[in-house]
Amino acid sequence: MRIHEHPIIEDFKKGREIGFTLDGSPMRGYEGESVAAALKASGVTTHRYTSKLNSPRGIFCAIGRCTDCVMVIDGKPNVRTCMTPLAEGMSVQTQHGLTPRKEG
Amino acid sequence: MLRYEMIVIGAGPAGLSAATEAARSGMQVVVFDENARPGGQLFKQIHKFFGSREHQARTRGFRIGENLLKEAEEAGVKVVLNAAALGIYKNKEIAVSFGGATRGYRADCIVIATGASENMMSFKGWTLPGVMGAGAAQTLMNIQGVRPGGRILMVGSGNVGLVVSFQLLQAGCQVEAIVDAAPRVGGYGVHASKLSRTGVPFYMSHTVVEAKGSDRVESAVIAAVDERFRPVAGTEREIGADTVCIAVGLSPMGQLADNAGCEMSYLPAKGGYVPTVSEFGETSIPGIYCAGDAAGIEEASSAMIQGKICAAAACNSFGYINDEEFRERAEAYGLSLSKLRAGMFAPQNKGRTDISHTAEGYPLSGSLLQRGYISQDEIEAFPAARPGSGKGLRPVIECTQNIPCDPCQDACAQGCISVGGDITGLPTVDGDRKCTGCCMCVAACSGQAIFLVDEDCGNGSGLIGLPYEFLPLPEPGALGLALDRSGNALCGAEVVEVRKSAAMDRTAVLMMKVPAGMACAARFFRPADGRQACRGR
Ligand SMILES: Cc1cc2nc3c(=O)[nH]c(=O)nc-3n(C[C@H](O)[C@H](O)[C@H](O)COP(=O)(O)OP(=O)(O)OC[C@H]3O[C@@H](n4cnc5c(N)ncnc54)[C@H](O)[C@@H]3O)c2cc1C
Ligand code: SF4
Ligand code: SF4
Ligand code: FES
Repeated sequence: MRIHEHPIIEDFKKGREIGFTLDGSPMRGYEGESVAAALKASGVTTHRYTSKLNSPRGIFCAIGRCTDCVMVIDGKPNVRTCMTPLAEGMSVQTQHGLTPRKEG
Repeated sequence: MLRYEMIVIGAGPAGLSAATEAARSGMQVVVFDENARPGGQLFKQIHKFFGSREHQARTRGFRIGENLLKEAEEAGVKVVLNAAALGIYKNKEIAVSFGGATRGYRADCIVIATGASENMMSFKGWTLPGVMGAGAAQTLMNIQGVRPGGRILMVGSGNVGLVVSFQLLQAGCQVEAIVDAAPRVGGYGVHASKLSRTGVPFYMSHTVVEAKGSDRVESAVIAAVDERFRPVAGTEREIGADTVCIAVGLSPMGQLADNAGCEMSYLPAKGGYVPTVSEFGETSIPGIYCAGDAAGIEEASSAMIQGKICAAAACNSFGYINDEEFRERAEAYGLSLSKLRAGMFAPQNKGRTDISHTAEGYPLSGSLLQRGYISQDEIEAFPAARPGSGKGLRPVIECTQNIPCDPCQDACAQGCISVGGDITGLPTVDGDRKCTGCCMCVAACSGQAIFLVDEDCGNGSGLIGLPYEFLPLPEPGALGLALDRSGNALCGAEVVEVRKSAAMDRTAVLMMKVPAGMACAARFFRPADGRQACRGR
C-alpha cells in the first residue's frame, strides 16, 4: 500500500526504517511517520473495537479530530495513532473498549 | 503571562499570510497551530492552482505552501506547532495547550485562521474501517505516502471530491465511481472532465446507502435519490470497493470566535456559522480578526489575501502603517480578491442552478453537469475548442465554464491564447498567430483542458498532444487505446513522443497518433501492455 513512485511528489521524506510491534507481532515502518500510516501501509485497518457493540473502527479523519483511530501505545490507551509519530520498538495494541486486546 | 502584539491561530495559508504581512510591517507576531506541520491544507494540494499570476496560479499547492513558510521565516514570524488554542477570553487572553500543559497568552490583536472541518454523513455501515473523509485520504496519500485503499467510491462531486479523486488515481488507486445526491456536478467542469476521460463514472442524483463488510469495507451500495434526496427503492447497485471517501462539504471552524463573544451568523454562501466581519475581516470585537475558511469556505488563494487584509488593518490601527499606506494596500488586495470571487462558481452564486449560459452567451454543457464530460456536439459550440482549419498543431481549449483562471494566456509566448482582462472569461484562440507546438499551454493549464490537435498529420493519421500526470509514463512507440471524453475506448493509438521539461512542472504531454477523423474526439491514452497507469473502472 506504500506509494513508491509518484508522478508529482518527488519524496515523501521518510525517516529510517524501524521495527515496532502490533499486539506483540513484529512490524516494520518508518520513523516519524504516523502510527496510523505505518499500520495502513501494512494492510491493518482495524485499530480498535468499541466497548458496547464490539464494532471495529479505523482511520476516519487522519487529523486528530474524530478519535476513531485510538489504540494502546506503550501501554497507554486512547492514543490517537494518526497524530502519533512512530518510534523504534513502540508497542502498539488493538484497543478493546478501553483496554488492550487480550492475547489468545 | 506572555504578551505578543499579534497572535495568529492557525498556520494555514490565511494565518501565515497574515503573520508575514504584520511582521514585515514591524509587528511582533506568533502563530499557533495544533498540527505537527505548518501549512494547513496546502501541503495536501498537489495540483496546479487556479487564479492569475498574482495569485500564484499554475503553481502546485504544496509549493505555494513552501513559499509561504519561507516568507514567514524571513519576516521573523514565530510559528509554534503542536499548540492548540483552546479559547479566547476577555482582554484578548488566549489559552493554548501544548501536549498536556495549558499556557495563557495576551495579545493586542488576534487573527483567527483556523480553517474548516469536513462535513460528515451517516449511512448504514459508515463506521466500518475503510469509510473515511476525503481529507484523511489526502493526508495518507500525499503527506504519508500510503494509499488509503485500492478501490475507492467517492461521495461528493464538489471540487474537493473531484480533486481528491484525481489524486487517488495519481497515487495508483482505482476510483470506481463518484456519486452525488445533487443532479449536477458541483465542482469545476475541467476537474470532472479529467476524471471522466480516464473512465471514472459519475452517478449524479445518487447517494451511498450502505458500506458492507464484516471487519472492513468490502463493497458499497449506492442508490438513486428523488428530488427530496431520499433513496429510491429498487435502484440499489452494489459497487466493489474497499474504501468509501466522503467529500460532502466543509464547514467553517468559527468556535473560537463564537466563544470569544464575537457576533456570529449562519450564512449559507459562506458554508455555515461564521463571525460577522467588516470588509477588513474584523469581527464585532475590535482587534479580533477572522480570515480564510474560518470566515467562510473559499480557497487558499483568497485565504491568503484575506489574511493580508486583516493584518494590514491591524498594522494600521496600531500605528505600524499610516492611513494612506493602509488604503493603498487594502485597495490592491481588495482588487485581487474580487478577481477570484467572480464567475459562475463565486461564493455569491453558491447553490444557484439557473445559470444556463456562459457570460459570453454559449450554452453550458448539460452532459458535463450531469455526466462529468462534454458531449461531442456540445463541445462544438465553443470556438476555442474547434480545431483550426490550417495545417499543423493547434491548441484546442475545452474550458467551457467561467472560472477565475488564466495561466493559459500567460503560457503562450506566441500570443495564441487570450482570456482578456477579466480572468473568468473563456479563453479564446487567435487563429492568425502561429502555434509552434511548444506544449507550454497544455502543461500550464490548471484544469488540464488544453489539447494540441493536428487533424491530419499525413498518412491518414491525426495527432493529439494531451496532458498526462500518471506513472508509468508511456515510452515513445507505446501502443494502446485512445479514450474519448467519457473514457470509452475509441480507436487504437500510438504514443509518438513524450514531452517533459522543468518548466512544465511534472505535467508531461503525450503526443498520440490516431486514425484521421478521431483527433477531435480522442482525449486520453490507455496503454495496451496491461500496465495501466490509472484506471477508472
Ligand atoms: C481537496 C482540496 C482541494 C483544494 N484545491 C484548492 C485550489 O485548487 N485552489 C485554492 O485556492 N484552494 C484550494 N483548496 C482550498 C484551500 O486548501 C483552503 O481554502 C485553504 O487551505 C484555507 O486556508 P485557511 O488558512 O483558512 O485554513 P487551513 O488551511 O485549513 O489552515 C487552518 C490551520 O489552523 C489550524 N487550527 C485549527 N484550529 C486550531 C486551533 N484551535 N488552534 C491552533 N491551530 C488550529 C489547523 O491545524 C490548520 O493548520 C482545496 C481544498 C481541498 C480540501
Ligand atoms: S503549443 Fe505553444 S505556441 Fe501553441 S498555443 Fe500552446 S503555448 Fe502557444
Ligand atoms: S484553459 Fe485557461 S482558464 Fe481554462 S482551466 Fe486551463 S488555464 Fe484555466
Ligand atoms: S483518524 Fe480521527 S483522530 Fe485519528
